Amino acid sequence: MIRALLFSTLLIQLLFGYNYDDLVLKAQSSIFPKIMLLDKKVQNKLIDNKIIYTIVYDTSDYETALHVKEYINTTFKGHFDKYPYKINLVDFSHLSPNTEASALYVLKSSTDNIKKAADIAFQKGIISFSYDVNNLKDGLVLSLMIEKSTILYLNKKYLHAKNIDFIDSLLSMVKFIDENNF
Amino acid sequence: MKNGISFFLFLCFISLPLQAENLVSSIFTDMKQFDKIATQTKQNEHYQPYIISVMQSKELEKLGVSNLKEALTLVPGIDMATDNLNIQTPIFRGSNPFAYGQSKLLIDGVVVNNLFMDAYSEYLSMPIEMIKRIEVIRGPGSKVDGINAYAGSINVITYAEDFKGFESNDKLVFKYGSYDYRMGGFVKNFRTKEFMTHIDFYYQKDNKKISSGPDGLSQGSLGAANVGLSQSEKAPLWLDEYSLGLNVKYKDFTLKARILKHKQGSAYGINLALPQDSDRLKLPSYYAELGYAKKINDFNIDIKAGLQYGAFDSKAKLVPDGANLGGVVFLDGAYGEHYAKQRVLYQSSYVKYSGIENHQITLGYRVTQEKTIAMTSKLSNRATGDAALVDYTNILPFFDKDAHRNVVALSLQDEYDVNDKLSFLYGVNYESTSYKDAGFEPRVSLVYYKDFKNIFKAIYSCSHRNPSWQEMFTKNNRARVGSTDLKPEKITSYEFAYIRNFTNESYLQSDVFYLVNKNQIYNSATDPVYRNSAKTDIYGVELEYKGHIFANDKVYVNYTYLDGRYSTDGGKKYNLPNVSHHLAKGYYIYSFSGTLSLGTTLKYVSSKDRAKGDARSKVKAYTTVDTALNYKNRYYNYTVNVSLKNIFDTDVRYPSPQNTYVDDYAQARRTFLLTLKKSF
Repeated sequence: MIRALLFSTLLIQLLFGYNYDDLVLKAQSSIFPKIMLLDKKVQNKLIDNKIIYTIVYDTSDYETALHVKEYINTTFKGHFDKYPYKINLVDFSHLSPNTEASALYVLKSSTDNIKKAADIAFQKGIISFSYDVNNLKDGLVLSLMIEKSTILYLNKKYLHAKNIDFIDSLLSMVKFIDENNF
Repeated sequence: MKNGISFFLFLCFISLPLQAENLVSSIFTDMKQFDKIATQTKQNEHYQPYIISVMQSKELEKLGVSNLKEALTLVPGIDMATDNLNIQTPIFRGSNPFAYGQSKLLIDGVVVNNLFMDAYSEYLSMPIEMIKRIEVIRGPGSKVDGINAYAGSINVITYAEDFKGFESNDKLVFKYGSYDYRMGGFVKNFRTKEFMTHIDFYYQKDNKKISSGPDGLSQGSLGAANVGLSQSEKAPLWLDEYSLGLNVKYKDFTLKARILKHKQGSAYGINLALPQDSDRLKLPSYYAELGYAKKINDFNIDIKAGLQYGAFDSKAKLVPDGANLGGVVFLDGAYGEHYAKQRVLYQSSYVKYSGIENHQITLGYRVTQEKTIAMTSKLSNRATGDAALVDYTNILPFFDKDAHRNVVALSLQDEYDVNDKLSFLYGVNYESTSYKDAGFEPRVSLVYYKDFKNIFKAIYSCSHRNPSWQEMFTKNNRARVGSTDLKPEKITSYEFAYIRNFTNESYLQSDVFYLVNKNQIYNSATDPVYRNSAKTDIYGVELEYKGHIFANDKVYVNYTYLDGRYSTDGGKKYNLPNVSHHLAKGYYIYSFSGTLSLGTTLKYVSSKDRAKGDARSKVKAYTTVDTALNYKNRYYNYTVNVSLKNIFDTDVRYPSPQNTYVDDYAQARRTFLLTLKKSF
C-alpha cells in the first residue's frame, strides 16, 4: 500500500505540466528587472541603449508570457530605472544565439528547451531568470520563490561568472543553490 | 533576524552608489510587500501553524460551482448535514452532525454565525462570483483574535481584498438554472490613493421543491393519534434572498458591513409535518464592524467594534388538518408565527509586539454582549383548536425573551521563530461568560521547514463551543427544550501534518488527527432537553493533492478517513453515528485553449451508521459527478459557463435523526446551471 502510494506520488510528480502561480509571476515581474540592474556590467548588455528583456516561452504559454509583459509595462512604464526597455516575447523554437536579449526570463518548458535557453544566455554573457527554481539545475541563473517569505535563489556556479558581476549586497540577500540542493 | 537584515541594509546603504542603494531598497520593499500579500492571501498557507485548505473561486467558477455550500463540499474532511428547517451545516471531521456552531464562518474577518442557532446556513447560498477565496482551517487551531472555532473555521474573502496593481475584479453576473433558479449580481471597487470602497450585491431566488416523506408524523412525532395524518409531498426548499455588502477603507480605518435578507421555504416543517408551499422561514443577518489598525514602531494595534443583528422568523402551518393535540382537534390545522430577534455587540483590541528579536507577541481581549431584543410567539388557539392565531408571547413563549449573555475573552500568544527552519506558536485563551465558563485553553504548534519541499507541523490545541441560544433558551416546545445549565462543549486536538511541495503550484498535504470531545450537547425525541451528555473520540487521516498531469490542466483530489467512538453519560461506547468514514473529492480542469475549458467534479461520501437504538439501515453511500464547460471571450471580456450537476441522477440523502423523517432528507438530483459573467 505504502509502495503504491509512493509510486503514485512519483508518477504524478513526473507528469507535471506548465501551470503558473499568478502571485509568483507578479513578484518575479516586479523584482527581476531590478535585480538585473544590480549587475555591475549591465551597461555592456544594452542594445541600442536599451535593455531588451526577453521572455522565452513554450508555445502553449503565450498567454502567460503576454500577461507578464503587460504586468511589467504597467509596473515600470517604459523604464527600468534610468534605462529604457523593450520586452520581446520569443517562443523556445525561435530562440537562438542571434535573439536580441539583455536578459532572459524563462518560463516552464522541457529540460532540453531550458538547457538551450541557459546555454544561449551563458554564451551571450547575460542573466537568465527562471520562473521555476528547479530549472536552475539546468543552468539558469536566478529564481524567486514565495515560501514563508519571498526568497531569491542564485545558481552558485554563476557566483564568479566572467560576464555577470552582482553587487555584494544582492549576494547577501539570496540563497545559493547548487547541484546538491535540488 | 529582522534586525539583522535592517542592519545589513544600513551597511549596504552607506557603502553603495545611490542608484544601487535605491534598487536594493526597492527590491527589499517589494519582497516585503509580496510577503504581506502571500500571508494575507494564504499563498504561503503551508507555512502557517494550521491545517488549512484554500479554494480559489476563479477555479471553482470553471467547474460550475455555484455557491459557498458547493465549494465547501470539496474540502477534505467536510460533509454536509441538514435539519427539518433545512438549516444546513458543514460537518468538520465527523464532529456532532446534528449540532450547529461547531464551525465559524467569517466574511472578510467578521464572524457571521447567527446567535439563535449559532449556524450560518443563510450564507451558504452566497454566490461563488461574490467570493474571491475560501480559506478553510480544520481543527480548533483556527482560533484567531478571540474567536473560538471548535471543529474548524471558514474564512470567506470577498473582492474587497484588492491589491494595487492587480487586475480589476469588477463584474456583472447572471445565472439561470434548474428549479427556475435566477440570480443577478455585481461587484464594484472604487480606489483612490487613500480611499477604497467595495460594493457587492446579489439577488437570487428559486422554486425548489423536493419529494420528501413520509414526514415525522409517521414516526409519532405528534403522538400516536396523528400517525395517520402523515404525508409524503414535495418539501418547499425554495430560496429568495438578496444581499448588499460594503467595505470601506480610509487610511487606518475600515468599515465592513452587510445586509442579508434571506427567506426560504419551511422545508420539512417546524414540527416535522410537511408544511405548505408558501410557508417560510426568514433568517436575516445584518452586521457592521468598524476597525482601526495602526503600526507604531514595534507595535501593531488592531481595534474593532461591531454589531450584528439576526432573527429567527418563522410563519408556517405546524400541523395538518384534523390533528389532535392533547385532546384538542385542529380541524383546519394549526398555524404558528415564531419570531426572535437577537443583537450582538462586540469590541476587541489586540496589540502585536515585534520588538523582541524573532518573537511576535499578541495580547488582547474581546468582549461580547449577546441579547434577545424582540420575541413573539403566535399559535392557533390551543384551547379550542381554532386555526386563527392567538398571541402567546407572554403566556406560552417559545423562547426566553430576556435571553442575554456576556462573554469576555482574553488571549496571549507568542510566535517564536527559533531559526530559519523552526517556528513555535504558543499561547493561552481565557474565556468567561455570564453562564458556564470555558476557562483556560492552551495552544502549541510547531512548524519545521526542512526545505521548500518538506514541511512538518505538530499542533496541540484546546477550544470550546458555547451553547447556542436555542440550546439554552428554547421553551414550551415538543422537540427542543433549552437549559441555561449547559457547559461549553470542549475539544482537545492533536494534529500532525506533512506537506510535500513539488513546485509552486503542486503539493501533497497529509495529516493525522485525534480529537477528544467532551460535554457534547445532545437531545432526542424522547428527551427534548439539551444536555451535556456525549463524549466522542475521533481520529483520522486527510490527504490532499493539487497539481497537474499535463500542460494546461489542473487536478485536485483529497481523501479523508475518519473513525471514532461515541458514548453518552459515561456509558458503553458505540460507533460514530451519522458520520461517513470515507470522503473522497476531486476535480479536473482541462483547458483546450486560453478561452475554453472543461471541468469535472467528483464526490464520494460513504455510508453512515445510525445512532444507538435507531433500527433503520445505514444512510446510503453516494457518488456524484458534475461537469462544466467554460468559455471566456478575452476581447469582450465575458464568460459563459454551462454546468450539469449530479449527471447520473444519484439519490443523495442527508441523515435525519431517529423518529423524524424515516427516509432521511432527500437532496437535489440532476440539475443544470447557466452562468453569464461580464468583467470590467
